[in-house]
Amino acid sequence: MALLSWKRAARESTVQSSMFEDLALPLVPALYNVAFWLARNDRDAEDLVQETFLKALRGFGSFQPGTNFKAWIFRILRNTYLTSRTGLAASRTVALEDELNEHGDSAPSLYPEGVIDRHTPELNLIRLNDGAALHRAMEKLAPPLLEVILLCDVEEMKYKEIAAVLEIPIGTVMSRISRARAELRNALQVEFGINRRTRS
Amino acid sequence: MSAHLTPSVLSCLADGELSPEQLAMAQEHLETCSVCTSKALAQALLKAAVAKSGHRYSPTPELTDRLRELVSKDSQRADAPLSRASQRPSFQGTRGGLKIAGWALAAMLLLASIFIIQRNLSRAGKADDRAALVAEICDLHVSALADSAPAQVISTDRHTVKPWFQGKIPFSFNLPEQLPADVKLDGANLIYLQGQPVAQLFYSIGRHRVSVFLRQRSDTKVAGALPPEHWGFHLTEFSTEEIDAVAISDVDPARLADLTGTIERAQTSARK
Repeated sequence: MALLSWKRAARESTVQSSMFEDLALPLVPALYNVAFWLARNDRDAEDLVQETFLKALRGFGSFQPGTNFKAWIFRILRNTYLTSRTGLAASRTVALEDELNEHGDSAPSLYPEGVIDRHTPELNLIRLNDGAALHRAMEKLAPPLLEVILLCDVEEMKYKEIAAVLEIPIGTVMSRISRARAELRNALQVEFGINRRTRS
Repeated sequence: MSAHLTPSVLSCLADGELSPEQLAMAQEHLETCSVCTSKALAQALLKAAVAKSGHRYSPTPELTDRLRELVSKDSQRADAPLSRASQRPSFQGTRGGLKIAGWALAAMLLLASIFIIQRNLSRAGKADDRAALVAEICDLHVSALADSAPAQVISTDRHTVKPWFQGKIPFSFNLPEQLPADVKLDGANLIYLQGQPVAQLFYSIGRHRVSVFLRQRSDTKVAGALPPEHWGFHLTEFSTEEIDAVAISDVDPARLADLTGTIERAQTSARK
């Protein structure tokens, strides 16, 4: 027997809520982690995640089953962040694309040409197990570089997924990742340089 | 391959994003170049260290519970008509006519109760949606009022502000040529409201700042009128065939309505 339309709508809505719960709840830790990195405090991060959930829940009807839910909900988180006070303030302080070419190869070279450095910041990091130094370096990254490196290295998203989340071309994703790593490395170099000087 | 690998290629290599051909070329180069091998190793180490350091913050159990409750509430709202319907009363009569009348009465009562329940649920849901929309609008307006937050496009010229949105939003709009006395266009922002790209126009009426939000009209628009006042700000809205608009300011409501009326006429007059 055909269901009355309101019954059918209610059942579909229940199924949708259940499907949403199955897809979204496992992503809460990842969403919160990225939200905290962007917002820099727990209260704003919680608000950001809660608002993201609310928007995602209301807009879940527009989500195409079988497509990438993680990219979809991270895009909502990112757009919510952009319209938050901290996001708006951050977006006005950085103009990255002006400084980069399409593939980011104009970024300063990571290493002096032809030199094998056996005391690279990365090796120092491993040697000293200095997670705090890297944390400080990450905190210094501009939000567009931080978000791209978080999605790539922490969330292990592919460039294509990152491009979908950030709504930017893949070339820009590549250039930002390259730039972010160069800046991290420079920051670590300064950090370890200072430490070495302090110790010696 | 004789030239050294570029930072971009090294990043792609660490991220596993090189195509098979690019990967083969990179590997061929790495076999003979100790400098690039060292760089590639450094990139991989940095990536691993960032992955480890980046997993730093965890949500509190309270937040997870709140989010679960949020989803559950939404689910219950959808379930409500069904559960009410299952509590259908049964009437028994000994005579046929009385039985039919009883069933008819029961059916009427059932329909009436379903109608009332659905209307109340719908009203409650719409009221929540409206409150969320108004809160978000106020929040965006207050953010824009901060001195440290200049507009993304700063101009009093409508021919500068309108084209700035080309390719940024999926609709177009018109800005009025003639503004009411003491009103001027200050600029605009591209923002997101309820997940949709929105043009936030800034006007000044005397020393009062006004935000006018223009967004593409959609079927999922929050139904019902917005409250005329929220947090001491006045709100006014209008819709055309293509756009929904909401204006917010602490200026006198009549002057705010005058401005929105002018903007609304600009949409319709340009179509004629």
